[in-house]
Amino acid sequence: MALTEAGSVRLNRKAGSGDLRFTLITWGVLLLLIGLWETLPRMGMVSAIILPPFSAVAAALWSLMMTDFFLGHFIVTLREILIGFVLGTAIGFAIGVALAIWPTVKRVAYPFVVGFQAIPKIVFAPLFIAWFGFGETSKVVMAVVIAFFPVLINTMVGLESVPADAMRLMRSIRATPMQSFLKVSLPHALPMIFAGVKAALTFAVIGAIVGEFVGASEGLGYLVDLYNNQLRIDRVFAVVVVLAAIGAGGYFLLEWLDKKLIFWRTEDNK
Amino acid sequence: MTLDMMSTGGAGTPSPAWTKPVIETRSLAKTFAISGSEFVALQGVDLAIERGEFISFVGPSGCGKSTLLNMVAGLMPATSGEALVNGVAVREPSREVGFMFQTPVLLPWRTVEQNVLMPGEVFGRKDNALRDKARAVIEAVGLGGFVNAYPRQLSGGMQQRVALARVLTYEPSVLLMDEPFGALDEFTREAMNLELMRITRQAGITVLFVTHNITEAVFMSDRVVVMTPRPGKVSGIVPVDLPRPREIETMQLPRFTEILFEVRHILGGSRGAH
Repeated sequence: MALTEAGSVRLNRKAGSGDLRFTLITWGVLLLLIGLWETLPRMGMVSAIILPPFSAVAAALWSLMMTDFFLGHFIVTLREILIGFVLGTAIGFAIGVALAIWPTVKRVAYPFVVGFQAIPKIVFAPLFIAWFGFGETSKVVMAVVIAFFPVLINTMVGLESVPADAMRLMRSIRATPMQSFLKVSLPHALPMIFAGVKAALTFAVIGAIVGEFVGASEGLGYLVDLYNNQLRIDRVFAVVVVLAAIGAGGYFLLEWLDKKLIFWRTEDNK
Repeated sequence: MTLDMMSTGGAGTPSPAWTKPVIETRSLAKTFAISGSEFVALQGVDLAIERGEFISFVGPSGCGKSTLLNMVAGLMPATSGEALVNGVAVREPSREVGFMFQTPVLLPWRTVEQNVLMPGEVFGRKDNALRDKARAVIEAVGLGGFVNAYPRQLSGGMQQRVALARVLTYEPSVLLMDEPFGALDEFTREAMNLELMRITRQAGITVLFVTHNITEAVFMSDRVVVMTPRPGKVSGIVPVDLPRPREIETMQLPRFTEILFEVRHILGGSRGAH
């Protein structure tokens, strides 16, 4: 007994120091990449028009943030992403629940859902511009259409993976379907639903930017397109950095929420 | 810690006909239709079980023992015949009947106490009396120090104790158990057997216990219902006239071995150890 305890303590310590080592390696790799990014264009190995050095991009980012128009474009895109993400998640969740709890609905609707997912939805972008105009709506719709599916699938699969004995238990105490859903099925499915929600955020960013590429007069995707045409590649990269920050920031926020909300998650979560 | 609170009254109010069996099955049968052909899961079973009896159902897979239990619980409709609990035909699950499964089915986001109180929420009970009751039962099953622990912090045996506490808190007059200790190691299983006998006898609960472990069945039961498959049916009922209270030493009695082999004989004689 004492032996296993000592063993597990040692293992834990090992894992701890390993974490620190990996963190250091991660930062090291980042520094190396930035170093290459800086030196390769400066030494003329890559044209600065194709890849401006890191310092130029940083300077471009700084000057962009100093302009009076950048914040406006930033907010436009952030709004599209957030509205698309929230609506996509809500719609995906609602359809996922409906498919999971009504077998008849699933039998009828599931082929359509899969068929819809088989379409590369980017092809809709020009259509949405025609339908919803050059404004915010067409971008939000694009974000929703790309983002809802992972939430739908994960909600459905999560709700369907509730152990049979758990449902028998609820039936044996004569729980109503609503009670079974709220007390057992939904919390059980929550870890999977959250994985889908995280994917939805990334997809919402893609949807908003694609929508702006196809037709827009404002937003970060519009800026990327504009600067690309002006060959201001340093500014293109600067906007890309901002987009990456939005995506990563949202993702880590969701990850934090995930850990808070699903505190019972273990490595071998069934 | 005793469970005197659950020995009288509660959900199991005595029916006017006290002498009637608590559970009765009349030609209770189940047939499944599998790809067109009919499969007899259980041939007509007639049983009468007295109040406070401990009855085990043993037999290999496919003998219909779980099917029988599910029909008595009202979790599965009978194809023909009927099951009666306290003289009333079973149509749906009843709160007088507690059910325990092979897996503990604990909710990992709830503490031990919250898990035990979950059925109470379903019943619309959230009073302090129930809370006190739950704590007493948790203590009685030997988990007094783990009220606020989460399931993942408990061993398999302890998790099954929580499941036992969850069902006992609501004072069922009948307890249906579907291989509840099947996933436990031999030592834990023995400890759980002793505890289950002590608690259910003290509270006067009628127990229907499904297992594929003959030793366990003979050790705890007043009668062992021996079932055989293809088609699932009752092949014999063996009364167990061993003295109570039973301890591990009871297994040393020559009579214990005799009954064990009697059960084995009905099962077909040629079967290996349990």
